Amino acid sequence: MTSITRRILLGSALALGLAGAAAAQFPERQITLVIPFAAGGSTDVVGRIVAERMSQELGQQIVVQNVGGAGGSLGAQQVAQADPDGYTILMGTVATHALNPLILKQKPYDPVTDFAPVSLLVLVPNVLAVHPDVPAQTVQELIDLAKAEPLAYASSGNGTPLHLSGELFKAMAGVEIDHIPYKGSGPALTDVLGNQVPIIFDNLPSASGHISSGKLRALGVTTAERAPSFPDVPAIAETLPGYETYSWNALFAPAGTPPEAIEALAAAAQATMADPAVVARMGEFSATVVASTPAELGDHVTAEMAKWEPVVRDANVSMD
Amino acid sequence: MDLLSNLALGFGVASSLANLAFCLIGVLLGTLIGVLPGIGATATIAMLLPITFQLEPVSSLIMLAGIYYGAQYGGSTTAILINMPGESSSAVTAIDGYQMARKGRAGTALATAALGSFFAGSVATFLVAIFAPPLTTIALKFGAAEYFSLMVMGLVMSVALAHGSVLKALAMVVLGLLLGMVGTDVYTGAPRFTMGMNQFADGLNFVAVAVGVFGIAEILRNLEDEHDRQVMTKNITRLFPNREEFRQMVGPVLRGTGIGSVLGILPGGGAILASFASYTIEKKVSKNPGEFGKGALAGVAGPESANNAGAQTSFIPLLTLGIPANPVMALMIGAMIIQGIVPGPNVVTEQPALFWGIIASMWIGNLMLVVLNLPLIGLWVKLLTVPYYVLFPIIMAMCSIGVYSVNSNPYDLFAVAFFGLLGYIMSKLRCEPAPLLLGFVLGPLLEENLRRAMILSRGDPTTFVTRPISATLLLMSLAILVLVFLPQIRKRRDEVFTESDA
Repeated sequence: MTSITRRILLGSALALGLAGAAAAQFPERQITLVIPFAAGGSTDVVGRIVAERMSQELGQQIVVQNVGGAGGSLGAQQVAQADPDGYTILMGTVATHALNPLILKQKPYDPVTDFAPVSLLVLVPNVLAVHPDVPAQTVQELIDLAKAEPLAYASSGNGTPLHLSGELFKAMAGVEIDHIPYKGSGPALTDVLGNQVPIIFDNLPSASGHISSGKLRALGVTTAERAPSFPDVPAIAETLPGYETYSWNALFAPAGTPPEAIEALAAAAQATMADPAVVARMGEFSATVVASTPAELGDHVTAEMAKWEPVVRDANVSMD
Repeated sequence: MDLLSNLALGFGVASSLANLAFCLIGVLLGTLIGVLPGIGATATIAMLLPITFQLEPVSSLIMLAGIYYGAQYGGSTTAILINMPGESSSAVTAIDGYQMARKGRAGTALATAALGSFFAGSVATFLVAIFAPPLTTIALKFGAAEYFSLMVMGLVMSVALAHGSVLKALAMVVLGLLLGMVGTDVYTGAPRFTMGMNQFADGLNFVAVAVGVFGIAEILRNLEDEHDRQVMTKNITRLFPNREEFRQMVGPVLRGTGIGSVLGILPGGGAILASFASYTIEKKVSKNPGEFGKGALAGVAGPESANNAGAQTSFIPLLTLGIPANPVMALMIGAMIIQGIVPGPNVVTEQPALFWGIIASMWIGNLMLVVLNLPLIGLWVKLLTVPYYVLFPIIMAMCSIGVYSVNSNPYDLFAVAFFGLLGYIMSKLRCEPAPLLLGFVLGPLLEENLRRAMILSRGDPTTFVTRPISATLLLMSLAILVLVFLPQIRKRRDEVFTESDA
């Protein structure tokens, strides 16, 4: 079957479904939330907290399904191709909806046309940290050090938001620092804790325990403002004005999902993120709650694509 | 005395009625999923994560930990009975354990595995309690160069896994290394050997490869010949080891516990090596190495102890550093974060009840496991009498569910089918699957660390010999190589002479 006939069939099936379901309220059965990363990571944790609370809002169970692989592309692709009925949604991130589409030469999906935005849930700061034996105490001292001697930084992998945060830092500071990619944050942290690699760009939630215990020294957070959970750590932007990167988590449905379903999902997401208990948990996690409307998330994706495009091009990161 | 009061605190927490119950649920579930082929601890813990929302942090971690080491226990059951290892560690158990089962000694093999695991688990738990902080320091001394040399040592050892031709074993190791290269290049992001399918971007799934080359291949082989199976069930004389067998067990169990405890601490894949290393050593120190691969008791006792000791000590980097040693540990970190605990070095001081409670529960859990498993041995062995036409479809279905549940990736199922066929062809060619699996597991680690070490040293290869730990490991590899190949060369010369005589 060609994709066009398939689309038409899907479309007509959808129309029939809509006509039949006009009376029924969305949702009338369980919803699958696809998390495009392995269980246990920060996106997974955010997703599970949100799914649990949203289930109460919607009166239907939201089942979390981890579809890890290819830096989040597999899970995103699965949702892009799912039936657009609102019963399969995605926990998208800066990786699935800005970086991967820019980096991958063969694009498995289009982050704008293949998805219907639902709500931008949280922003998660990244952090630049060093092993305590590194002499640099501030971002400026680190830049000076990098100009004087060869340094290396660890990240959770090639083409991840953390790698590109490092590349943006290098470009704006005008320094050369070797990039050492790992398979995930855990092993990268291990090597920096053991001073095998002096510098790391990491998600603030995953590094926070090591920063508060003094095993890592945080030099700066990557958000424009300081992070509420670490008020003593300056923003990198205080040294390099205009430097701003962060990870984010947002809900997406496949393109063509009926507006009623999108509205119901967005309302439930906003109610969830207004719950003080959820806000508190996100705070412990150093994540800032946004809870945007669908339209705002759409604009956000466009803005992020525009922001990362030159960084990706200049860092010369691309994957087949 | 600190230790005693800490342990008292831990046992106080772990022996509350609720926590005892969660520990029991955990080990029961773990045993169950360990016994079901293909379904692993990772998938189970991922499925249970949402339930832990409602529990006390310490109860939920006690239960999840129980699932993890319970699965290590149960995993050896399928490896021994149906040659179906679900994890890299039980791949080694399958070699001699399955041969024992085929000779009607399934009960003995299972009891050996259970007792060895219990001993190793208990000892390793006390090591965790006493030495966790100093051991952490050692783990942090391992950088890319050290891991590379450790993996080299592992590869050298893999040759000893072969009980036939060394050449074929080497070929299998190399094939394994090549299969391990499938997936995205960590450094450049280039996809390798994925045939354009981004479902393979993260490489082949270990469970799919293991279930294929061991389990599915074994089923295919058995379908050819019903005769073998008669022997398996008819010859069962007794279930428990006799005095002589107990005596044979002691050495391997002690050595395995030591090796497993040390390697388990290393977060970068050290635990994977534990059972392989133990097997190699047992074969070397054995008075009759020819027995290995044909049902040697030491080939089950050593690796099983090593793997269980490693399972316990791999909690050290998690609890003292907040660093996951494997995917299951990564899930435990997720569980801690969901509970509002920030994993890291502060857990020991800020949450002593949690830290010591988990450690104490491990000992209780190990005791539960041995009490639970010994009586079950009779039942498991009876499973062998289930007719093929019932047993095989069930195994196949379980495998498929299990493999799919790891990543929800249908391509993993295609991989099972492919590797099942490959495993069958390999068995026809008399090539062993174990060296292939070892190559497959070690290959990516070897490459990743080699390249990382080279970037860090700015292209200077002497980094491997100037760093003391790395140099020591390389020297040890060289020594093993000489030990392995000397008898081979000598034998070869004898063969040559015999031939020329004739």
